[in-house]
Amino acid sequence: MRLSLPARLLLYASVAATCAILVFPIYWLFVTALSQPDQLRQLPPKFWPDAPRWEVFGRILAERPILLWLSNSALAALGAVGLSMSVSVLAGYSLSRFRVRGGQSLGLFILAAKMLPATLLVIPLFGIFRMTGMIGSLWSVVLAHATLIVPFTTWMLKGYFDTIPRELDQAAMVDGCSPFGALFRVILPVAAPGLAATALYGFVLSWSDYAYARTFLTNAQGSWTANLGITTMKGEYISNWADISAASILVALPILAIYLFLERYLVGGLTAGSDK
Amino acid sequence: MIRLDLARPSRHHWLGYALLAPAVLLIAAIIVYPLFVSIDLSFQNVGIARLDRPRRPFTIANYDRLFASPDFWNACWVTLKLTIVVSAACFLLGLGTALLVDNRFRGRPLARLLVAMPWAVPEVIAVVIFAWIFDSSFGLMNWIFISLGLADRTINWFSDPSAAFAVVATTMVWKGYPFVSIMSLAGLQSIPDDYYAAARVDGASAVQRLIHITIPSLMPVLGVTMVLVMLWIFRDFSIIYVLTGGGPLKATQTLAIMTYEQAFGFHRMGYGAAVGVVTLAICVVAAKLLMRRAPDHL
Repeated sequence: MRLSLPARLLLYASVAATCAILVFPIYWLFVTALSQPDQLRQLPPKFWPDAPRWEVFGRILAERPILLWLSNSALAALGAVGLSMSVSVLAGYSLSRFRVRGGQSLGLFILAAKMLPATLLVIPLFGIFRMTGMIGSLWSVVLAHATLIVPFTTWMLKGYFDTIPRELDQAAMVDGCSPFGALFRVILPVAAPGLAATALYGFVLSWSDYAYARTFLTNAQGSWTANLGITTMKGEYISNWADISAASILVALPILAIYLFLERYLVGGLTAGSDK
Repeated sequence: MIRLDLARPSRHHWLGYALLAPAVLLIAAIIVYPLFVSIDLSFQNVGIARLDRPRRPFTIANYDRLFASPDFWNACWVTLKLTIVVSAACFLLGLGTALLVDNRFRGRPLARLLVAMPWAVPEVIAVVIFAWIFDSSFGLMNWIFISLGLADRTINWFSDPSAAFAVVATTMVWKGYPFVSIMSLAGLQSIPDDYYAAARVDGASAVQRLIHITIPSLMPVLGVTMVLVMLWIFRDFSIIYVLTGGGPLKATQTLAIMTYEQAFGFHRMGYGAAVGVVTLAICVVAAKLLMRRAPDHL
């Protein structure tokens, strides 16, 4: 149905206004990063800096161990996602294809695990990691992030496997594949977009964590993740918003890039995971 | 859904268990066991958890103290207030943007991308953005308030209890509504066009189509989404902790923040665990009650 001209104008205007207001905070982060620090202390505020200082990113990378923080975050996320995916692929396939005693209740438990407050789980994990000497090591965060990721990935992957016809498994097995062969040679390649979306979702969960990193890594500067590093900057340089903003952009960039390029897959994964 | 078990269950049963085993072991080690440890800790008088030491004597002192503490009831009230305010706003904003962007217009993919973008901003970064916007001396919000005549001098957002609550709520809404809009959009796209065509033939107006087709068809998806959003608000740590630390005067101290503060701020891990266990119990009960209202799902 085509809308009348005034209705269309109204539609465009409201879409533009909504987008502008909702995305403005992100725009403001960029403006702040590119402004001279003393310009930020002027009223009325400038909605685009007079002389954008693009060099801020290079300078902040040189002054602060941001690359170290980013690589710690990336290592933690890769470890947590790798660990979670390797158990979730098998479990998701099992929950989707086999009738296992307790499978139903395991599924329910996994759903319930999403309700666990991280602030509760962090207490016993702290005790356990202290006992095993893992406080301050990235491994503590890898395991802690797996508690966030495994319930999501298992459930999402089960959802993906459910959408793949069982005839495919059967055909593979008739052609002489073992059940493992059917999974690895036939089902996983078919499920590749779903696997990618699930893994990226896990990556985002790990990258966004602050509670676990703060608790386990605060006293080990060499292991700080990006979010932890940013909050320490916020604490010490309460007035230097330009630098904090520049660092924040560098930290948010990987996730924003994932989102911009893979919105379709991520959104698909999000909705597939929660739909039943 | 009909469960066709093409993998001949009788023969491959053991394989089903074998495939589950690694996940079960991992979940047992990093979720179930710690959960038991925290319940156990909540019944002991423990400062800093030392699992290699013998267990302290069993006591319900933590819970006694908890239910007698005004801080606990304050935290319950703050959590409830925040959950209601933020989830209602996320719902309206999320559904509104979804309905808007679901229209057919040029540039729609871009608009879809933009409205959901805050979802991709890590919570800590969202805090940086809003802490600066609400900065008490040079923040943008103060300038807007003064220019519009809503305030005659700068507001110190983080030292006034209700202002701090508003800042926390605003940040959480901005971070949380995209999830509602993503889910609603997916729900909207699964409504068959035929429904609308049939309604139009029968002379239904746009408003009638919204009330009688769109909203009822979306209800199941929205129900689940809202429960997930509420659980997120209930348990959130990063936004509140980095933004206000639970202050001023505990005005933004939710149960999650109180749990953490007791365990790691005051090193009363037994007491903190007790707060956490109660939080979890409330989450589970609330989720069960809410799920019943959205039948056929979960």
